[in-house]
Amino acid sequence: MFTTDTTATDVELDLEQALNPGEVEGLYRDSRECAYLALLAGGGALLLSPPTPRPKKG
Amino acid sequence: MTTTATEGPSQDGPAGSRGRPGPGRGGPRPGASPGTPPGAALAVLPGVLRSALAWTDAHRADFTLPDDVLEPHTQVNATLKPLGELAQLGSTIRRTTDPGAPEHELAGDLVAYAWEQVAGGELLLELLRGEPFAAYPYEIYAAFAGYGLRHEGFEALARPLTATRAWAHTEQHANRQLGLVNSERRVGAVTHTDAGAVLSRTWLGGLSEPWMFEGPSGYALTHTVFHLTDWGRMPDRVPERIDGYLRTWLPAWADGCLESGQWDLTGELLAVAASLPGPAPAALLDAVWPVLADVQHPTGCVPETGMPVEDPAPDPYPFIDCYHSTLVTAFAAALSLRSLRSPGQTDGSAPGRERRTA
Amino acid sequence: MDQTHASSPLAGAVHDLATEVVLALRSGDHLATVCGAAGIDEENRTGIAAARVIGADLLLPSVLYGRHPHPGDVAVLDRAVREFPPKPDAPAATAWSHWHMISTLQRIAPPPPGAAAPAVYAEPDAAWLEGAPWQAFTHQLSVLAPLAVPAAPSAVRRAATNRAVDLSRGFVRAVRRRDWLQAAGAGRWLAAIGGEPATLGLERGLDFVELMGGHDPRVTLHVRAARLMAEARAR
Repeated sequence: MFTTDTTATDVELDLEQALNPGEVEGLYRDSRECAYLALLAGGGALLLSPPTPRPKKG
Repeated sequence: MTTTATEGPSQDGPAGSRGRPGPGRGGPRPGASPGTPPGAALAVLPGVLRSALAWTDAHRADFTLPDDVLEPHTQVNATLKPLGELAQLGSTIRRTTDPGAPEHELAGDLVAYAWEQVAGGELLLELLRGEPFAAYPYEIYAAFAGYGLRHEGFEALARPLTATRAWAHTEQHANRQLGLVNSERRVGAVTHTDAGAVLSRTWLGGLSEPWMFEGPSGYALTHTVFHLTDWGRMPDRVPERIDGYLRTWLPAWADGCLESGQWDLTGELLAVAASLPGPAPAALLDAVWPVLADVQHPTGCVPETGMPVEDPAPDPYPFIDCYHSTLVTAFAAALSLRSLRSPGQTDGSAPGRERRTA
Repeated sequence: MDQTHASSPLAGAVHDLATEVVLALRSGDHLATVCGAAGIDEENRTGIAAARVIGADLLLPSVLYGRHPHPGDVAVLDRAVREFPPKPDAPAATAWSHWHMISTLQRIAPPPPGAAAPAVYAEPDAAWLEGAPWQAFTHQLSVLAPLAVPAAPSAVRRAATNRAVDLSRGFVRAVRRRDWLQAAGAGRWLAAIGGEPATLGLERGLDFVELMGGHDPRVTLHVRAARLMAEARAR
């Protein structure tokens, strides 16, 4: 006999699962845009990401 | 002209993590693999195009420019940007569809409507007088000029400005600079720099590691192709190495966009796929189009991102959250139809799949 | 599955065993016993089940360094083969990993002269792999990553070789989904068979996957196996 504290059934169920795992949930996260460095480089003019031209304030 | 990528955490995208069993999971999968019936794209494309254009037509009023459009406080992204995109994508659809087809006529009407909105170019001249050193008035004007709608006064003021050192050294991302070059070509001006050199500085031109693809690089990539090919008009401008790279990796990227519910970017990737020289990447189009068709609302609009609304009642999304993806869907559908119906529309060279190592 | 917080005794044992394989791969020390270090012997049913999950990778250090395996590890692997045979209705991947354990034992630790010749096992079916969409194909191949070792021909390996571009797409997809274990398994296959598109950037991709997903020792195991095979191919 085996020396174990779990039942054979538990181990076998876990084993079946471990041998044929489904795909894990996809985790999607895109980079954000941080204007911090752009602010310094631009001498105060916030350089926004290219896709969206914005009107200057004032 | 582009859209905003989904920013920040998007784990709550529809297909992957919420209940909807649909797009991306279990449904049709993009790619050149077995399992997708050939002809699946052609089965849905005419309906997708017709319905997206019908929605756009029915929402012309939302593209209407407000009276204070030239005031500094007015948000350009909610006014001139949508109108410029209507002109750009409408003119491409017009060019891509057959004369006499209802879509051809409707697309032409929409461009004419946009041209009316800018008062035959007069308003764009006013805009340029207000912001003479900005690039976007020129880019919007070029959308019309590429279609043959010109304004002498606008070009007269733009001519010396675009001949300056400052214009040639406008600081912007490479894909946007490629857009400027394309605008110059359309207006007929001398291009301020060599397009090939700019292309090599883009994410796409660098043949970036495909596993680093995400929303922002995805939009950079699609716009690189749009500007390079003049919005799908000239597929032959895509160099062979980039053609092979795109044919190899587009299926993997489209799959992620479907699973994460990035419908707008999905549409743009489909437009890219349909802008490649040589035969259409049919397996990819057959796998992805039915999913996007499923996301399209019965009234024709397509949400930019997120779980599609099941309610068939009109206007399920705010205009600003669906107009771009709807226009992109129509644009991509028109290009895909052209690509699938006239294989080898350009030089007919063999479809490049990228060379393998070893 | 994040094994850092083992969800079951089996998951914990798999974690420990994979960690020991990684250590052995790192040190190249063929005398070390992987199972002994993980506290697993033939009398521990959970441990034997964990050996069934790790499969033939239990002997991976010996396979990749071309040395004799530790008798204790051979005994545990042999026990796992006999203790957990695939049921008649088991998924194909289960049948394949079992088949590969047997074939590895026969190749690496043949029975002493005079002992009864082991039964010959036919390869399980692999036709389903040919027809699988590239996403499912990559996922299944990743589950079968232990088969991605040098000089171990199989129908699975032939399918992988025929679909290297699909596997590469699957690698890209797995990274985008942040499924590090699948990415590591797919990358290991590509390192074993070659033929990936030049632009994939597999080497740096695997570095990235290891750094992002290395809290799971199975990720590290696959990445290190991939690296050792890529180095061998480069020689």
